[in-house]
Amino acid sequence: MTAWGIGKPAVAEATDRARTPRKPVRMRLRLISAVTLAVLGGAVVASSLVVHNVIQDQERVLLQERAGEAASVLAGAFAGVQDSLELLGTLALTDQGHPSLFASAARLVITTKNEGVLVTARHGTGMAVTAAAGNAPAVGQAIPADQEQMARRALSTTGMVSAVLPDGSRRWLAFAVGNAAGPGTVVWERAAFSAATSAQLAGPWGDLNLALYLSSRPEPAALLAATTSKLPLAGGTAYRFTVGAETWLLVASTPTPLVGTLAQNTPWLVLGIGVLLAVLVTTVVEAQSRRRDYAAALVEERTTSLRRAVTDLEQAQAQLVRQEKLAAMGQLASTVGHELRNPLAVIMNVLYLLETMAGAGASEAMRRHLATAKRETSAAALIVSDLLDYASGRAPMPAPVPLADLVAEVLSVVPPPTGVEVVQRVEPDTVINADRDQIRQVLLNLITNGYDAMPDGGVLDVSARSSGDSARITVTDTGMGMDEETKASIFTPFYTTKLRGIGLGLAVIKRVVDAHGGTISVQSTPSVGTSFTVTLCAAHTMASLPP
Amino acid sequence: MTGFAVLVVDDEPGMRDTLMAILEIHGYRVSSAPDGDTAVTAVREGAFDVVVMDVRMPGRDGVSVLEEMGDPPPNVILMTAYAQEERLRAAVNANAFAVVHKPFDMRRMLRLVADASRAFQNVSEVTQ
Repeated sequence: MTAWGIGKPAVAEATDRARTPRKPVRMRLRLISAVTLAVLGGAVVASSLVVHNVIQDQERVLLQERAGEAASVLAGAFAGVQDSLELLGTLALTDQGHPSLFASAARLVITTKNEGVLVTARHGTGMAVTAAAGNAPAVGQAIPADQEQMARRALSTTGMVSAVLPDGSRRWLAFAVGNAAGPGTVVWERAAFSAATSAQLAGPWGDLNLALYLSSRPEPAALLAATTSKLPLAGGTAYRFTVGAETWLLVASTPTPLVGTLAQNTPWLVLGIGVLLAVLVTTVVEAQSRRRDYAAALVEERTTSLRRAVTDLEQAQAQLVRQEKLAAMGQLASTVGHELRNPLAVIMNVLYLLETMAGAGASEAMRRHLATAKRETSAAALIVSDLLDYASGRAPMPAPVPLADLVAEVLSVVPPPTGVEVVQRVEPDTVINADRDQIRQVLLNLITNGYDAMPDGGVLDVSARSSGDSARITVTDTGMGMDEETKASIFTPFYTTKLRGIGLGLAVIKRVVDAHGGTISVQSTPSVGTSFTVTLCAAHTMASLPP
Repeated sequence: MTGFAVLVVDDEPGMRDTLMAILEIHGYRVSSAPDGDTAVTAVREGAFDVVVMDVRMPGRDGVSVLEEMGDPPPNVILMTAYAQEERLRAAVNANAFAVVHKPFDMRRMLRLVADASRAFQNVSEVTQ
């Protein structure tokens, strides 16, 4: 069930692979977030601007309404003045020499002591007062030049004219109607006013800055009253209305917004809340995108690992089937091999007996035939041993093995064929700690391989020496050598380049050497030869080995 | 001629006969037993210097026979065609003189038998 073990690193690998494309995903996330934030931010700023404009409009409308109200109240306040003056003029005309009627009527018009009513008529080159009531110059007195100029204006105009007339520290608001008390006469009403009067102007419009001009244009000379000294009023609205024959101008502005502080600050509120919402929405969008991407990555990852798991499972199953087949074959091979060992042993005994019994009297032919029989039996025994060793994978039973004896024995079992010279260079004291039968098998295989590599003869060098804790056995032939491809495959079971043999020799060697904790290496040059080096534990280290 | 007494124990007649013949040629006094029980009896009754015995036999196997050998036991060389590791380790623990895998090189077997004979002789000398 080792195949299941494959699953774990596979999953880890899948996780790694899923992590790799994270960077572009992050970039995409950032892009989505940035676009969302930009769009929402733009919408918020636009909304804020729209709200700002709406509120500005509202402010303007309110100001106009309020200024309009103020203007109509003012217009209303002065609407009756012309009628009063015309009536007073008529009374003055009919009252010639009896000013009591005029005076009685004038008292009805005059409401404060600042006000006065008078009638002037041509007197020589100038003008003189012919009737007066309230705060007015005495009868017969000439009027100043500026009044005279205004009188001329009144005489040339149909309807009432008005002006602001400075008089020392005071100023007069003067109304005049020409020809009201007969041709060439002018009927006046005038009222002195001061800063207090200006303050009164505000009245119910205390929330406005007002400036009243007796002119259609905001000329400083025509300024009648203002609620502030900062003139002209900036950013205000102008409202024109008619008083008598003239157009007055009321300019209004707001020191504090009419729509209220909350409304005034609404754009900022919209902007602030909007930006907050935009950031919030962006965060949510990003979080959702991240979650979706994470989920997608997770799904991909899981799918990959699932697919991998399925593949692993299939492979494991295939391997299991293969292993079971191999195991069944191995079982069969093992049984057959073991059953062959006994007869092979008996045959080898018989051959030994025959050789011994024939002794010196044996003919050359008989000796040759016996040698052939021995060699072929040994080859059969070697194949069986390889097969069994490979199938069983028997654990080694180490004991001290003198290599010189073992090499000599192996060489006697497999003597060199004709044309091959064996050079044996085993240092006498080389003793390894190993399973004798298994190392014998290793040497048998290495040496017969060496023979097989030199069909046209050559030199086989078998050397062994120990150094420190390890012993090194080298088997070198001067044979055909191997190419890299062959070299890479030689330890694979059932791989063989020979016409005979089952391709287990080197696989068995590798397994035995590995089981002993040793190493095997190969050096080979085509047409020059091959050298196998096996390194094993030297025997004197046995004491240090665990039991 | 050595004159040492060797008991060959194997259920295979071919192996038993050839091994006996070869050992006789080399001067040993050789007896044989076809199974473990016979071998135990033979060892108790006769004095053998060396026992060459198969591990796998019907009835008692070579390792259990080795464990029942008299005191002092003869030197036992076990032969096996099988890789029965537990039994082989038990054999080693039961003081088998050597374990040889079939098929074996006859020269090695002869050397082992010779070594076992001498070893037994030495032990005998010491115990005397």
